[in-house]
Amino acid sequence: MRRRFGAVQAVDGVDLELLPGEIHALVGENGAGKSTLAAIAYGAVRADEGSVDATGVVGLVHQHFKLIDRLRVWENVLLNREPKRGWTIDVPAARARVLELAAKYGLAVDPDAVVETLPVGIKQRVELLRELDREPAVLLLDEPTAALAPSEIASFFETVRGLAARGTAVLVVTHKLAEVIAYSQRVTVMRAGAVVARHLTGETNAAAIAREMVGGDVAALATRAETASKALLEVRGLSATSGTSALSGATFDVRAGEIVGIAGIEGNGQSALADALAGVVPFSGELRLAGVTLRPDDSPAARLARGIRVIPQDRRHEALILDWNVRDNVVLGRQRTLPRAGYEAAAREVIDRFDVRPPDPGAIVGMLSGGNQQKIVVGRLLAGDPKLVVAYQPTRGIDVGASALVQSRLIEARNAGAGVLLISFELDEIFACADRVLVIAGGAFVGSFDRAAIDRGRVGALMAGGQA
Amino acid sequence: MPYAFVRGRAFRDIVLVLVLVFGVGSFAMLLARVSPLVAFGALFDGAFGTREEVAETLVQATNLLFPALGIAVAFRAGLFNIGAEGQLILGGFAAGWLGAQLPLPWFLAIPMVLIAGALAGGVWGAIPGFLRARFGANEVIATLMLNVVAVLLATYLVNGPLALPGSGASETPSLPHAAQLPDLVSDSRLTWAFPIALVVAFVLRWVLQRTVFGYELRAAGDAPEAAKRAGIDLGRTAFVAMALSGAIAGLGGATIVAGELHRFNTGLSPGYGFIAIAVALVGNLDPLWIIVASLAFGVLQSGGIAMQAEAGVPRDVVALVTGLVIIALAGRRVVAARRST
Repeated sequence: MRRRFGAVQAVDGVDLELLPGEIHALVGENGAGKSTLAAIAYGAVRADEGSVDATGVVGLVHQHFKLIDRLRVWENVLLNREPKRGWTIDVPAARARVLELAAKYGLAVDPDAVVETLPVGIKQRVELLRELDREPAVLLLDEPTAALAPSEIASFFETVRGLAARGTAVLVVTHKLAEVIAYSQRVTVMRAGAVVARHLTGETNAAAIAREMVGGDVAALATRAETASKALLEVRGLSATSGTSALSGATFDVRAGEIVGIAGIEGNGQSALADALAGVVPFSGELRLAGVTLRPDDSPAARLARGIRVIPQDRRHEALILDWNVRDNVVLGRQRTLPRAGYEAAAREVIDRFDVRPPDPGAIVGMLSGGNQQKIVVGRLLAGDPKLVVAYQPTRGIDVGASALVQSRLIEARNAGAGVLLISFELDEIFACADRVLVIAGGAFVGSFDRAAIDRGRVGALMAGGQA
Repeated sequence: MPYAFVRGRAFRDIVLVLVLVFGVGSFAMLLARVSPLVAFGALFDGAFGTREEVAETLVQATNLLFPALGIAVAFRAGLFNIGAEGQLILGGFAAGWLGAQLPLPWFLAIPMVLIAGALAGGVWGAIPGFLRARFGANEVIATLMLNVVAVLLATYLVNGPLALPGSGASETPSLPHAAQLPDLVSDSRLTWAFPIALVVAFVLRWVLQRTVFGYELRAAGDAPEAAKRAGIDLGRTAFVAMALSGAIAGLGGATIVAGELHRFNTGLSPGYGFIAIAVALVGNLDPLWIIVASLAFGVLQSGGIAMQAEAGVPRDVVALVTGLVIIALAGRRVVAARRST
């Protein structure tokens, strides 16, 4: 099977066979072609070459939920397959069908709940039920656990096992190797659009798969230097809202030369925290940076001037000007202080330090890969001795090599005396980088761990505990 | 935006515009039972036939170039200023009224008349800019409505408090000779307004591409959320961009009064501020390409009259083609914006 997008051969001559009743893991770095392969198998994307044969219906659960938030659960599950009575929808029959489906697969849902009010784990069930209603012989799951708490992940895979036991062929596209080892029977590793290895899961291990994904050893992170810790950011009773994200009464400190990891599931107040620090939304409570009180109505410019740098969650809309070149993006925020003649040098510096490819200050940023785009964002924000760095999912959607580089630069900023607040939904990232871990759930901090005393199980339980 | 990128797109736009002008234009001419060859022949003859006709084509191009440059400033900042017409009319009114009041030597009178026009247009653009910055009011609605207010305000003033005794016309007294822009070509309406417009275009391009102000304005337009988080004050940028946009359109109104009519008349614009939207879009919001686009539209404007007179094709064909150009280019921009999100 082959598929080309522009100049990129996304999937290049891949053969993949799924057997009834098996859970098959498809792993690879971002951009390896996993999602494209799944989309081709589902029929959403056409292959340039090659074919797909299936003995029945193929179902796909997307990484990003494709639900209509304003509609009810039954409306989403039965969308376009609603039972009809004349020209109208037979609502009692529809509700009954969803309840029956939910009971059959052990996926409890309230058919009348409006989707936007549901927590992420339940939304996932709705996605799954929608595909199961079509009685698929093959079920494709694209990064199904990305937004789930550890406990939800376990129960999700219980459901998946049940499906496999009924004879469904399940393909799980993922980059979480622990899940691959724990739940799959076979694993296929992709790199740069091609299959590089196939294993029976029992005959391999996570470290070997990681090396196959990357095509070599994963780069080690920068070493942590001893830092003299002194108080930098003092947060007292901080409450803020940003969109649907709400933070209520958060109290914590970040010291200079320290990375504080904020562990939590998406949607528990992280956006409000980052945006309040960025000066994008107002807050109540007290914020002090190096002894100076920050005002709730500060502009983003005022926060930048204080040395606060926020790496936003959505780099394409909140950090970059995609139509512009690398040079003009690198100086964004410094356009008033840098002389025009210094733009080129500033761009070169970021390109060199962050290994931006292509190393061309004139390249249009929208044409670069996600990893290189993120390097530009992080490079720009770490330039010029920041005091406090707030990194919101700084490695989301970028490959392992770029992730290691970004994380290393954050550690180096810490070593140089900056305070770093690392907000991430990936526990591995937090455990790898943070000196201290705070657990956030339901808009409040529910736990704190020093690096030496991190208990993965307890962190996971606390993260899930705050869920509605 | 890098220059080569823009140029590639501008080229495609120009091809699209030519297809619309000649394709749809021919179709409309056939509906009017006139051979497109005859009609386009009359159009080009009317635009280029004589020295005076070439001069009139440049006059039309100038009258479109000022408001188009103003519109480009606002559009580059992400603000859809549909109010260039009103800004141009009030600029013309301020120039005409003030110019007729003060007997001054030319080197004071002409700059004063032009500055008065720019200030009046600038204020008229700054109002929706302020409403947008302060209250988040939609600038499309505000500028569109203010067009009507501008026309009615000027009409009221010249017929009411400032009416000429014993005159029924909606106009101000004529400008003293010293306040009139000198002719560039004798026996024509072409004045120094044309080179002034060219200079404004080049300066504007430099401002947009080479200054910190231009950088921030373009950043606010191309990626408002990223610009805001990088410390750029979106409200202030919107206010300044709208004021500058209105000022350039107002300057255009002042040059029409000081150069062509020598007095303010409520009928001074046949819709330059609206046609200029198409000019700005065809020029891909790049001041230098807008010069080219304004010349092309100047040909349509001045040739259209001849086409009607000589070939019997209604001038409305030109309006029809202009409207289609706006729909095609604005629509394509919306599609492109959707795709990139």
